[in-house]
Amino acid sequence: MTTSADNYWQETEAALAEFPVDVRLHRDDFYSQSDWDVYQMRYTSADGFRLFAWLSVPKSGGPFPAIVRMPDYGSVQDIVYTPLRERAVVMNPTFRGQRRSDQVIQAQFPGLLTEGIETAESYVMRRVFADLLRGIDALSVQGQAQLREIALIGSGLGGALALAGAARRRSVIAVAANTPLALGNPVSFDPGLGYPLAELDDYLRLYPTRRETVVQNTGDLDLLNVADKITAPVLLSVGINDTSTCPLAFGEQLAAKIPDCDLRVYHGAAEGGGHEHAQIQLSWLADKLGIG
Amino acid sequence: MATQQDLESFITEVTCPDDFDDFWSVTLDQLSRISLKPVITADPMRSNDDVHVFNVTYLSLGGLEISAWYCLPAHGSGPFPIIVNFPGYKSEPPVRRDWGKKGVAVLSVAVRGKLKSSGEFNPGYPGLLTAGLESKETYGYRGVIADCVRGVDFIRSRPEIDPERIYACGSSQGGGLTLITSALRPEIKAGVAGYPFLCCYPEAMTMFRSYPYDELACYARAYPGEKEGMLDTLRYYDAVNFAPRIKCPMVVGIALDDEVCPPETSYAAYSALTGHKELWLFPNSGHGNAHEYPGQERAWLEGQIGLKAAVA
Repeated sequence: MTTSADNYWQETEAALAEFPVDVRLHRDDFYSQSDWDVYQMRYTSADGFRLFAWLSVPKSGGPFPAIVRMPDYGSVQDIVYTPLRERAVVMNPTFRGQRRSDQVIQAQFPGLLTEGIETAESYVMRRVFADLLRGIDALSVQGQAQLREIALIGSGLGGALALAGAARRRSVIAVAANTPLALGNPVSFDPGLGYPLAELDDYLRLYPTRRETVVQNTGDLDLLNVADKITAPVLLSVGINDTSTCPLAFGEQLAAKIPDCDLRVYHGAAEGGGHEHAQIQLSWLADKLGIG
Repeated sequence: MATQQDLESFITEVTCPDDFDDFWSVTLDQLSRISLKPVITADPMRSNDDVHVFNVTYLSLGGLEISAWYCLPAHGSGPFPIIVNFPGYKSEPPVRRDWGKKGVAVLSVAVRGKLKSSGEFNPGYPGLLTAGLESKETYGYRGVIADCVRGVDFIRSRPEIDPERIYACGSSQGGGLTLITSALRPEIKAGVAGYPFLCCYPEAMTMFRSYPYDELACYARAYPGEKEGMLDTLRYYDAVNFAPRIKCPMVVGIALDDEVCPPETSYAAYSALTGHKELWLFPNSGHGNAHEYPGQERAWLEGQIGLKAAVA
């Protein structure tokens, strides 16, 4: 890991440590069902930001394995849906600026990827990663569900957050990441990319003199900095035509640095494995969590 | 995975209310009495050598301000053909710069409740599908649909757009809104509805336990006495009832392993189309993830617009 990236992660952990997690759970009668209870979960992240998550807990039995579905790049995080929710606790956390976590800032899409990018302190994406670490922490200390192992899943930004989370939290025993966002990697500045990575090129076209600053402030978030710290097995999917989230070269570099990585390369439209990989991922997760 | 036989044998219980046309006629009449008041603001950060990007606002039903991304080709003076892109349920309306090089404009509508149009109506996600379900007059989708119709009105107000070449597309909720808006606005010349949502609510809400349709199942469970009224309201918002009123060529794309928008329900909307129609079936694909779909959509629209011959 580069010294700068190492400092960033240390500062992030220190910023989280300044505030107690302070988890509050509220059962959602409307969305709870016969087989599981749904909770609205709130907890505190860095800078004192209160964050929201959906939490689904099977009605009977336990302890259960947990699946954390990291949020995509967008304003809405899904309410829990997975065929595994009858056998696993499922948490869908949000980051600052997403709906229900937008009391202080309201994220824009496109726009979030360059929000506050002028300085390291103001760059919101550096705190987005902190927010999802705090989500894992909150899950670990909530008192409602007895937990076993934790797996992380996600696509795009969510894929990047899942991999970073596994690198920083040893309680994670498996990661299924699809097309993880190449934020911070030099490939993210290539011209001609689609959104969301294209936001960086948009910004630099308008502010060409800020290139060095942008490279510096995003660089600490390059997953290549932490890939070798991931001890959990990783199922990673990429698409050969992806020009907006995880260009193939980045995905292959990432897979090479992760100690235990099952890389699946798909020749689909752009986004990776689509339906075929979704089925593979479901079986893989069930196997890793012992609920197959 | 559903088979074509499953699709063809499916019969929905949805019927069309006798006053369906009257209801929408009144709604469109109310809409027409509201001044459009368009505001167009250049977005230099999103603009590039090929496309000028603007943020647009206009007024819609209830006087709500609706936002949209408006992408115009940077080269040529027009009038340009245009595609109006309707958004999915939870996804952000995309900035569609990809058509600019081909000389095609795109309007990407952020219907009420979306991030850029949530100032006065913000039921959240989940939440939109059940907002105001108490009656057909109060249902939130009345405004959502009006916002899409109003997008076409905005397009028709623009001198740089060719009013004879307006096309529509969208997936999931955007697919449903493509069908519905095309029925209400004959100015749309052709459309592509991918994995359409908003079809056959009584069946769709029970076939899987996935959102957004499951919001309706939750509503029915929470308010059992109101289920009948809910289903009656939804008849006025079912794409199956709009489909016979569509006069332009329409494609419906269906993934046979779709567990969000059941393929049978989307097929029912396709079956109800009475004009020129095409069916794209994607076996071994789920909701929104058929690899072939984006390329087919692009090629078909290019053919309709006249950029080149459509692929078979």
